[in-house]
Amino acid sequence: MSTTSSTPLVEGAADGPVPVKTGPSGPRARSARAYLTYVAGKLGGAAVSLFAVLVTSFFLFRIIPGDPVRTMTHGRQVSAEQLASLRRQFGLDLPVWQQFTEYCAKALSGDLGTSYQFHAPVGELIAEKLPATLLLTGVAVVIYSVLGLWLGTRSAWRHGRLGDKVNTGVALTLWSVPSFWLGLLLIITFSVGIGPIPGMFPTGGMETGGETGFGYVADVAHHMVLPVVTLVAVGYAQTLLVMRASLLDEMGSDYLTTARAKGLRDDLVRRHHAVPNALLPTVTMVFINLGHVAAGSILVETVFSWPGLGGLFYQALSVPDLPLVQGLFVVFAGAMILMNLLADLLYPLLDPRVGR
Amino acid sequence: MDTTTVPRTARPSPRALTLLAVGATALALTAAAATPLNPAPRQARADGQRTLTVAVSQSVDSLSPFLAQRLVSTTVHRLIYENLTNYDAKDNHAIPGLATKWEPSPDKLTWTYTIRENSTWSDGKQATAEDAAWTFNTMMTDEGAATANGSFVANFKKVTAPSPTKLVIELKKPQATMAALDVPILPRHEWEKVGDYARFNNDKKFPIVGNGPFILTDYKVDQYVKFKPNQKFWRGAPKFDELVLKYYKDGDAAVAALQKGEVSFASNLTPAQAASLAKAKNIKVNDAPGRRFYALATNPGARSKDGKKFGDGHPALLNPKVRQALFAATDRKTIIDKVFQGHAVEGQGYIPPRFSAYHWKPDADQRIAYDPARAAALLDEAGYKKNKAGKRVGKDGRPLDFRILCHATDPNDKAIGKYMQEWWGELGIGLKVDCLDNVSDPWLAGEYDLAFDGWSVNPDPDFVLSIHTCAALPSTPKDTGATDNFICDKKFDELYAQQTAEYDQAKRADLVKQMQSRLYDTGYMNVMAYPNAVEAYRTDQIRAITTMPESGGNLWGQDGYWSWWSAVPAEVDDTSGGSGSSTGLVIGIVTTVVLAAGLVVFVATRRRSTAEDRE
Amino acid sequence: MTVPSTAAQTASSLAWARRRGSVARFWRAYRTHRAGLFGLGALAVIALVALAAPLLVGSDVQSVTNAPGAALESPSGAFPLGTDQFGRSLLGLLIWGARISLTVGLMAAALSVAIGTLVGILAGHFGGWFSTVTMRITDWFLVMPTLVLAIVLATVMSRSVWTVILAIGVTSWPTTARLVRAQTLAVESRPYIERATALGGGHGHIMSRHVLPNVMPLVLAQTTLGISNAILTEATLAFLGLGDPDVVSWGGMLQDAREAGAVSSGHWWYLAPPGIAIAAVALAFTLCGRAVESVLNPKLGVSTR
Repeated sequence: MSTTSSTPLVEGAADGPVPVKTGPSGPRARSARAYLTYVAGKLGGAAVSLFAVLVTSFFLFRIIPGDPVRTMTHGRQVSAEQLASLRRQFGLDLPVWQQFTEYCAKALSGDLGTSYQFHAPVGELIAEKLPATLLLTGVAVVIYSVLGLWLGTRSAWRHGRLGDKVNTGVALTLWSVPSFWLGLLLIITFSVGIGPIPGMFPTGGMETGGETGFGYVADVAHHMVLPVVTLVAVGYAQTLLVMRASLLDEMGSDYLTTARAKGLRDDLVRRHHAVPNALLPTVTMVFINLGHVAAGSILVETVFSWPGLGGLFYQALSVPDLPLVQGLFVVFAGAMILMNLLADLLYPLLDPRVGR
Repeated sequence: MDTTTVPRTARPSPRALTLLAVGATALALTAAAATPLNPAPRQARADGQRTLTVAVSQSVDSLSPFLAQRLVSTTVHRLIYENLTNYDAKDNHAIPGLATKWEPSPDKLTWTYTIRENSTWSDGKQATAEDAAWTFNTMMTDEGAATANGSFVANFKKVTAPSPTKLVIELKKPQATMAALDVPILPRHEWEKVGDYARFNNDKKFPIVGNGPFILTDYKVDQYVKFKPNQKFWRGAPKFDELVLKYYKDGDAAVAALQKGEVSFASNLTPAQAASLAKAKNIKVNDAPGRRFYALATNPGARSKDGKKFGDGHPALLNPKVRQALFAATDRKTIIDKVFQGHAVEGQGYIPPRFSAYHWKPDADQRIAYDPARAAALLDEAGYKKNKAGKRVGKDGRPLDFRILCHATDPNDKAIGKYMQEWWGELGIGLKVDCLDNVSDPWLAGEYDLAFDGWSVNPDPDFVLSIHTCAALPSTPKDTGATDNFICDKKFDELYAQQTAEYDQAKRADLVKQMQSRLYDTGYMNVMAYPNAVEAYRTDQIRAITTMPESGGNLWGQDGYWSWWSAVPAEVDDTSGGSGSSTGLVIGIVTTVVLAAGLVVFVATRRRSTAEDRE
Repeated sequence: MTVPSTAAQTASSLAWARRRGSVARFWRAYRTHRAGLFGLGALAVIALVALAAPLLVGSDVQSVTNAPGAALESPSGAFPLGTDQFGRSLLGLLIWGARISLTVGLMAAALSVAIGTLVGILAGHFGGWFSTVTMRITDWFLVMPTLVLAIVLATVMSRSVWTVILAIGVTSWPTTARLVRAQTLAVESRPYIERATALGGGHGHIMSRHVLPNVMPLVLAQTTLGISNAILTEATLAFLGLGDPDVVSWGGMLQDAREAGAVSSGHWWYLAPPGIAIAAVALAFTLCGRAVESVLNPKLGVSTR
């Protein structure tokens, strides 16, 4: 659920807007030059969005009540001078607009500040945890996209028959399941073990430690199975449904009727004409899911003690460790912007209607 | 909308799919490459290597003793650095650590420590009084270095090392806690080079140079901390070949790992977990008296040293009868039985019975027992009578509606809050349970009526007593004070000053008991329970281990390194690597391969169909 | 009675008749969707149980001091689903929890759709720079990580049911806004709107009398789909400990179960029912939503052509 919560399950794929589309509907670029203009526009838009995210993250977290300096010094005798020096150290003594310009200037040069609680640069902390999150969610998104595409295609072909109904039904049911709950059940069943089922997977974490080379890869893969299964189970429905809907839409189109009339074999028509066209909205959606990757696994990371960004975010929020929260927010939103941008840029390249 | 207006050029476009597949693979590869698949080569595991794995739930905040404040970090420091003194596992009395002897001057203002000659840093250099003097002096002069333990040196005037075995500390005022300085002594030759102590986390260069029973060899944020035994440790080397603190965000995951033998020890068990583990084979549940007290704090009207009042505590709480009534309407026995399910001891004085030298109990006539009828009578006397709606209202027309600050992360707070709402509701008192992740803000601002409060008590009670003195109040409303609950009581302060300067143990203990009696009577800190430390370990991995106190004590978070230093590996070491997990590993790999194969097959079918088309 | 008023009355009764007719048509089409009917039936049952909860289990079910059982009992005749750590009946709590979970789901979805509809209609109707700016803001909300934003909001505000509703509502409206704007543009391009404008209908009149009724079906479908999302998000926030500790909700029950250590103690009967309940309600709303959507827009694949 985590990865899908912000893109509601709309079947209206044929209406063009798969949930997020930052540009005007369907680009109609007719030439390389037009495409370049389009790219420039999209890049500009993404830059504006990124700046907006920077601004929001700064001001959004200023509304979290409380004074981080006081929180950190809770329970210790701290003089007014010490507090002032801490505030100076964190740059909290400056007027807000000045803090803001400084923050923007630093952020643009890649410096996200220093975490209050870990006494370390935010960029470093994020870089330390990012690979774990990328690995887990990246693998999950790849698997559920492929699975969704495949099942969605099958479902559309067998449209209306029992196979389709079972397929869609299972997907919808799994989609309705809270991911954290599914994760807990998987832990009970396959980690702790119930009855005859042995506890065959680790209960959490990313590695046992002490392994090297192939052993290490196998160890990480072993730790990844349950969290990936959780993410895939609750995630693939969306891809499936969009693929199914757009394929059905394609199959009803005039050109297919024409193609059929020309005597082309039915399955060939489907495979070579309908599927590629139908892939369009689905691919867009895959990219959007990739954008959710960073933020999407907060719950699954929590349940499986995965050492990624989700846990870090939660820790940061409770202090509140402003620089860390801000940094993570920028990373989460930045990932979405980047992936939307990629989807937008790929769209005209994939769209068979665009003659280049 | 328009789906048919644009005639589609039905161009076979496997491009889309290929692109997707390529993109997906690229992503998987990037993700895989970005993960350190080949970390620094570790030492090969010799057969029969015995590892003691301890499940921890807290992230390490810093590996620098100057900065570290969390229990997990200070535990790590206990294992890798020596303090001047240590606490005896039997009865908590001060025993030699890095210092072998310590004595005050007749005027009580100068303490002289004799530093042992048989403690060496792990790089071979001798640990001397120089190192200790440098550590204290750095904390006294550098603000960053004083972050975690600055309070220990606040009363120091001068620290010198006249010889490698002699450390002299001059005080501004007498201080009875000089055998309880919980400050790790650091190797000067390593730490002098550090530039900014406020930012140095001591986590870049391994192994970390230390002189404790263990040497820290590796650390990965939120994953593990690894140690090797210090073979040259003066008290004798630990018996396990390796110690690993393994991080589990989720308590259930840690318990499951214990059940499977992935870890040897887990702590902070819930009653349900303890009950189910007690039935398991090869697992011993250790239900030991804790070192915490768990109290109901009432806001005495927040104020600062300059006399300014702030915050918005309910004025009715300034009436001692109301405070007494609230406590009399709190059924401590039910809290122990239902919330802690027997894993706690009913609260009495401020200091838990584990520290028997200082523990105090109220007399029968002083004790506020659970008695709702008396609570109702007290409230009536105080002028808070029930109105028609059944609510108690004061003469000023303000109803007795309280807020209680609760830690969102502590299930006990929430549970007891539920009970209090019902008990007090029957008396006509309203209660709103304010659960927050971060209670510090309203707390420091004095914006609360009641609060769930609790502290871990050290063998030396000075600190937990000091936080209720007037001196601990913030200087102005804008400052932060060390105060816990804004208590400022003259009589308590007088007793505190006396005990600080009292170097005679028995007399000091008596003063400490008098202070607790006074605290009890004020009704600002009502101790409800002393929660037990509920832990469990695998007996097929650990044969013997020292608890603290030695009879019936606990293992995690001791005042000393006794548990992990003393742990003896079990003879038959069949599960420590997790034999169950190797079958699991095989199944896991198979599953992974199948998933990957499925992906390949899928892409391949697509490709084949493309080929067909090209014919 | 004057003539114009009679005419107006006739017009309005005509309009009513028309609407009744379209509702009937809608229902006939909806009936053909078996999954939709199934979802609707399930919802009816759950809603009935939630409404009748005070009769079925009594409000006493939440009381900890009068809890009838011992802590964490396994299922038995007296407690079909066992008890929680306070000794309260889990079946009772599950039934009682339906009230909160449904309320939060409905209200959050309603809030989200209300915001989305308002923004969408305004942006679609006024067009120009206003539309551009509004849609920019909408797009920008779309790239915000919703769950992260909701967690932040829930952390910032005090723990209460309203906070959860607000946190879900204000983070999930942009999709609706986009769809409603598109629909508004389509409606306003129809000739009768031009006529209405020519007859002197103001902005308010056009938007409320012509555009709104026409986007209502879309809004309905969005709401239904939004509810299942809102219920899941509510469970998520409660599970992360950001819910109201004073009320019993399904997500909160899961959080309680986890805090009690139900997972590692193998108390699956504590953990399973709330999750199944959440999934069932979310699924039921999704099925209804999909059915509604395909009735309104038959070219989407669900229809049984």
